[in-house]
Amino acid sequence: MISKLNESYIKENKQTTNKENQIKIIKFDDSEFPEQLRTIKNPPKQLYVKGDIQILGEYGIAIIGSRKCSNYGRTICRIFTNNLIGYNLNIISGLAIGIDTCAHKTSIIAKGKTIAVLPSGFNNIYPEENEKLIDKILENGGTVVTEYPPEFKKTKESARVRNRIVSGLAIATLVIEAKEKSGTSITVRYTNEQNKKAFCIPSSLLNSNGKGTNKMIKENRAQIVTKVEDIIKEFPELKLERKINFNFLEEKRKMEYKSKKTQKINLEIKKENLELYNFLMKKPQDINEIAQNLSMPIDEILCKLTLLELEGVIEELPGKKYKIK
Amino acid sequence: MIARRLPTILPNLTFEEALEITKIYSIAGELKENLITQRPFRSPHYTISPSSLIGGGRIPKPGEISLAHYGVLFLDELPEFGRATLEVLRGPLEDRKVTISRVATTVTYPSNFMLIASMNPCECGYYGSNVKKCTCNLKSIKRYIRKISGPLLDRIDLHIEVKPVDYKKLTICNKNETSKKIKERVDKARQIQLERYKNFGFFNNAELDSTLLEKFCKLDEMGSEIMEKSFKRFSLSARAHDKILKISRTIADLDDSKDIQYKHIAEAIQYRSLDKKYFRD
Repeated sequence: MISKLNESYIKENKQTTNKENQIKIIKFDDSEFPEQLRTIKNPPKQLYVKGDIQILGEYGIAIIGSRKCSNYGRTICRIFTNNLIGYNLNIISGLAIGIDTCAHKTSIIAKGKTIAVLPSGFNNIYPEENEKLIDKILENGGTVVTEYPPEFKKTKESARVRNRIVSGLAIATLVIEAKEKSGTSITVRYTNEQNKKAFCIPSSLLNSNGKGTNKMIKENRAQIVTKVEDIIKEFPELKLERKINFNFLEEKRKMEYKSKKTQKINLEIKKENLELYNFLMKKPQDINEIAQNLSMPIDEILCKLTLLELEGVIEELPGKKYKIK
Repeated sequence: MIARRLPTILPNLTFEEALEITKIYSIAGELKENLITQRPFRSPHYTISPSSLIGGGRIPKPGEISLAHYGVLFLDELPEFGRATLEVLRGPLEDRKVTISRVATTVTYPSNFMLIASMNPCECGYYGSNVKKCTCNLKSIKRYIRKISGPLLDRIDLHIEVKPVDYKKLTICNKNETSKKIKERVDKARQIQLERYKNFGFFNNAELDSTLLEKFCKLDEMGSEIMEKSFKRFSLSARAHDKILKISRTIADLDDSKDIQYKHIAEAIQYRSLDKKYFRD
């Protein structure tokens, strides 16, 4: 009995030590230290790494943006992440909430490789709510990097300083959305200092989350891009090629649609709900607006919304708003 | 404002109900008339203590939930209530009665009330609004919502989000349904339920237990498919499942429909939006 207990204890302990062993320390002088980080100003003395070390040296694009992002930012982030992975590029970001999280998650869905650079040690992950995301990144062949020892807690300074690693690991930085004063602009400054290109998504002048990006374009600190190819053509020497027929998001949607088509009942529903669907296509609407514009009774709309939601074509946002997925 | 108008659309008290309420008020020493003929409406302030909510004292007196028996208990600004205060509601909400034990004696009071609660979506009150931008960060929004525990939210049947009323609507009398009209519909639905449950010793859909639920809330093929799918998609609890059935039964009654149709189910699911939205990862 006791020996059995002992055995399981040893087993358990082994697992935990294994888990701790996952953190690999790379010193500046090690051959594994990513080459592109050596040349930046004020390089980290060592890196604590979980996951695949190899991919640190591969080509990657940093995708960054504000923590409070708009729907526009999120959608654009998904499209660009997805397409960049289509060109075999890794996605590098800072694991913050908002755009960063969106970039990491999309790369996981698109089966690309992603690198997260933490502003804290591995035992004090910031932000806490993204602890699960780290596991997912690691499961999917990604890498998590930090220059801080495991017990280090995130400070304002560390969040700012780690941005030099984000831009340092990447060949270029893409800013999705940024407010006027933000950590994002710090990363862009680092990118410029490191003589790398910064790219920027233009934003509506009315979007306060896009003021920073628009300003960067105006001040020539970042180059405006409207499609992924704008980024790719800046690096002819890398000979980046698009994987044939690569579009995971599109394919996923198609597959979901196909599986839906096989179900007879859903097809019937589809016709009835078309009006509502088309109305939501324009922009996310809340339930009162739908009722007023389509002059339908609320109970009927609620019913249709559930059916559409079950089909996976729409999703609910705060404030009883609905949008097409 | 909506909550305060609610008593105007509630069905009339039956004589037995009136008698029971009068008894409770008599024990509490709050009886001011011979027989209470109106459904009570109680709205305690959020500084209320757990024992004044469910009842207490050396010889326990009925608390707010018993004083709201057969009526409405309205909790304004739900997240401001103490955690402990809210959690004591769990049992009474389920059992429709509350047992209070003290050294001197143990008393069971009935507490078959309708709980109505209101809250803001976040600390600044503008999360999801079209009018003004929310200034809260994601963490504080989550913290605010989490003040209401999942199990308690699970016990609330209908979740409805309302938008601020704009000026036009405030000033123009539009042709909305009046309380009187609504009450007619409510009375009609209540009549259907009284008729249906006359041999079972209770009055309404809310009190259906699981065996009777199967009997009275049968779903057609499409209804069960919708139910099954939404159960998976929104990861609903077993309690939520029963609640949705009861709600759709009520919607069907209001619709004067003998059977629950798929559209009733689909509507009912929309009223349980909070758990799927805020308590999801």
